[in-house]
Amino acid sequence: MKRLLAVIKVKGIQFIITTSFTLVTVLVMLFVGVMLYGKFAQTAEQNAYLHTQQILEQVKYNLDSYLNGMTQIFELVDDKIRRSKGLTAYKLSEQLETIVETRKDIVSIAVFTRDGTLLATTPSKVLRKNTRLTEQSWFQKAIEDPTNLNFSLPHIQNLFKGEYTWVVSMSREILLHGPDGEIPAVLLVDVNFKEIDDLCQRVGLGKKGYAYIIDLVGNIVYHPQQQLIYAGLKNENRSLPLKHSYGSYVEETPDETRLITIKTIDQLGWKIIGVSYMDEIVTTKKEISRFIFWLLIFVIVIVLLVLHYLSAKISRPIKLLEQSMEKVEQGDFSESEPIRGSHEVEQLSLRFHLMVAKVRELMHQIIREQEAKRKSELEVLQAQINPHFLYNTLNSVVRMVGNGKNEDVITTITSLSKLFRISLSRGKNIITVREELEHVRHYLIIQKMRYKQKFEYEIVVEDEDEVLNCLTLKLLLQPIVENAIYHGIEHLADPGRIRIFAALIDGKVLLQVSDDGLGMSPDVLAQVKAGFYKSEEGSGVGIQNVQERIRLTFGEQYGLEIESEQEEGTVVSVWIPRQVAEGRDRL
Amino acid sequence: MKRLSVYGLVVLAAVTLFYSCSAPLTNGEVDKKKTVALIVRMKHGDYWRTVKLGAEMAAKEYERNLNFYAPDYEEDAQRQLELVQQAIADGSETIVVAPSDEQVLRKAIKLTRERAIPILVLDTVGKDSAVKSYIGTDNYDMGMKAFEKMVFLIEKKGQIALLGTDRSKANAKQREQGVLDLLPREIEIELVANETVPSDKKQIGEWTRELFRKHPQLKGVIALDSSTAIGVAEEMESSGLGDKVKIVAIDSPPEVLEYLQEGIISATIIQKPLSMGYLGVKYAVEASNGEAVPSLVDTGTKVIDRENMFWSENQKLLFPFVK
Repeated sequence: MKRLLAVIKVKGIQFIITTSFTLVTVLVMLFVGVMLYGKFAQTAEQNAYLHTQQILEQVKYNLDSYLNGMTQIFELVDDKIRRSKGLTAYKLSEQLETIVETRKDIVSIAVFTRDGTLLATTPSKVLRKNTRLTEQSWFQKAIEDPTNLNFSLPHIQNLFKGEYTWVVSMSREILLHGPDGEIPAVLLVDVNFKEIDDLCQRVGLGKKGYAYIIDLVGNIVYHPQQQLIYAGLKNENRSLPLKHSYGSYVEETPDETRLITIKTIDQLGWKIIGVSYMDEIVTTKKEISRFIFWLLIFVIVIVLLVLHYLSAKISRPIKLLEQSMEKVEQGDFSESEPIRGSHEVEQLSLRFHLMVAKVRELMHQIIREQEAKRKSELEVLQAQINPHFLYNTLNSVVRMVGNGKNEDVITTITSLSKLFRISLSRGKNIITVREELEHVRHYLIIQKMRYKQKFEYEIVVEDEDEVLNCLTLKLLLQPIVENAIYHGIEHLADPGRIRIFAALIDGKVLLQVSDDGLGMSPDVLAQVKAGFYKSEEGSGVGIQNVQERIRLTFGEQYGLEIESEQEEGTVVSVWIPRQVAEGRDRL
Repeated sequence: MKRLSVYGLVVLAAVTLFYSCSAPLTNGEVDKKKTVALIVRMKHGDYWRTVKLGAEMAAKEYERNLNFYAPDYEEDAQRQLELVQQAIADGSETIVVAPSDEQVLRKAIKLTRERAIPILVLDTVGKDSAVKSYIGTDNYDMGMKAFEKMVFLIEKKGQIALLGTDRSKANAKQREQGVLDLLPREIEIELVANETVPSDKKQIGEWTRELFRKHPQLKGVIALDSSTAIGVAEEMESSGLGDKVKIVAIDSPPEVLEYLQEGIISATIIQKPLSMGYLGVKYAVEASNGEAVPSLVDTGTKVIDRENMFWSENQKLLFPFVK
């Protein structure tokens, strides 16, 4: 949860990058999508128009050529009849039969007189009763308009026995050479309508679209739903196509919008009308829009994924940098891994690390300087120990001399000189434990002289070979012993005891000063431990000084431990590291 | 070279993705057209072929697939029932059936109700509420029209016979009823024979001769189905009685039309099988869309005689096929 929140930091660089880029992408894609859709939709619509036009043009062409072919056949038959000597001529009927046989779609060729009597027919079939052929349109038109070739509407041919067939009748008046001159007659060529019907049925304008044909006055020549129209189940508005010969328009009814395209077969004045459904074009549009929509989604998802990756790539190093800065802020100046990322971030992190290193160095420097400063201060204090002590000792010596205690004077002076030799120790701060113990022993000898045997002391060393050769700071024990004498033993009624003990414990060196003096109250002990307690006597170089020196030199884990009980005494333990002196440091 | 192949792979992947994205948009809708099943009584014959033609028109208009099922022979109820089951098994959205008998209809209703498939019935009248729509001819009205035409033809006077092949059929019964109900109105018309004729052609001839021997004064014959009409007309043509006796037929197979033009048959009452097929599928689609459809649809009838048989509006009714 927290991590999730961290990811969606509203002002986070990742968030900003992702959202802004997404916004831009979506906007651009939307723009492109809308433009594409507009273009595609327009193109689809235009294509639909064009497609319809082309298909109808094709139909028109096919019909034209078919009807032309039929016209030629009619003329051929006419020609053959005109050239022959008479209708009954054997050669003529043979020729006509050949024509009928070669053209499967010619149902029959027949010649009638103007009163409807059959003169000849190929193939020869029996004429039916009740044909009423003189009332039929092809016959009447041939009589009315003798010069032009007439095409009838498709109808059932009921003239000859056999199957009832849908035909288009071609008819014209012809002149026959009879014995008494020219006789006008009507030539009829019936063409099977199936060819045209098939041609029109094959026209597909989309899934539902179709083409139909009307004649000059609006009668249906062909309509795929002709029967439904007659049955009144369908209606085809034929008023507009009647008025126009060419072009296209959109017809809107409450249920549907249709694109109507009109073409005219000039030869007959028949009109081919294409009907295509706009909703199919709209379907195409819908498909396009759906496609573009999914494309958009797809692209956006891809973009989001890429952006997520990219923004993470950009922002992660920055976050890491931020974290490492936070660490520094909390005071952790330790070295950390350099951050990998973009060039800028790498540079930034490099610079930052350099800066942190610099700061670290400066801090160390400051610490070192401070420590050095402190050390020197302490050393100055420490240096005061001996002059003070010297002054006291020399006072004692003067008193001894006055009292004529020469032995004591000798001992004291000898010890004093030895003590000074050790404390000088060629100006070094670090000496061996042996020297330190020696030093404290001489100090104790001198003090014993001064305090007239007011105490006894002993120096005990365990693991002598090891411990004595270890290194220690000089003048550690003297201030402690001094304290033990001034605060612990001086005011005792009975002589006290001071025990100096050195040993190796847990890999550290322990130097211990114990006395059986007055001890301290818990309050005082706490003050001493905290370093607040200042005694009025002694050299003024207190336990605190020793503590600090040890810590500055050896580190925090070393130093003093004080245990004290009133009326029981005090034990001060000094812990220092076990560092064995090189040969040259040994005395 | 290597670079090129990498580019090629990238392009290929992109194209594949793109197409897998667009594929369901393009070919999903074409194949998912719902199917209407049309089950009729017989594969052959102009009547059922015309029903099918009308059904195909509606299927195209309403963008449905049409599955056509028909037994090879009429009266094959067992086979027809198998076809109904077949149509349901084929996953039809709706069933339009012209049942051969009552039992087929009952079973078809039961089967479709189990699967909640809408069912429409052609050429049969019933009262079952499970059927969305009964679409067909008002046969009673057909009978009345036949009788009225006959009355007109024989000028309200004389003996007539009422003949039919299969009286067990509900449709034939209703036609007969239509005739019988109007008969009392015409006091000068006498129904001398109301009989069932054999379906075999040769037998019909003999049977007809017998009829004319018994009733030499017979003025008209009302045939309740086309095969009877054809049988009787054939006999009359060969015996030369064509002018004396008027025949009123039912339906319009080519033979009936031939005799109509020849004048042997005087009139025929036709149904509108094309409308039946068309409306059957149309209402099937509407019913499956959950729209309300009329529960009873009368597709209409028409009286055809020599006078009007070649009128352009009738030509398409009588000759639905361009051959």
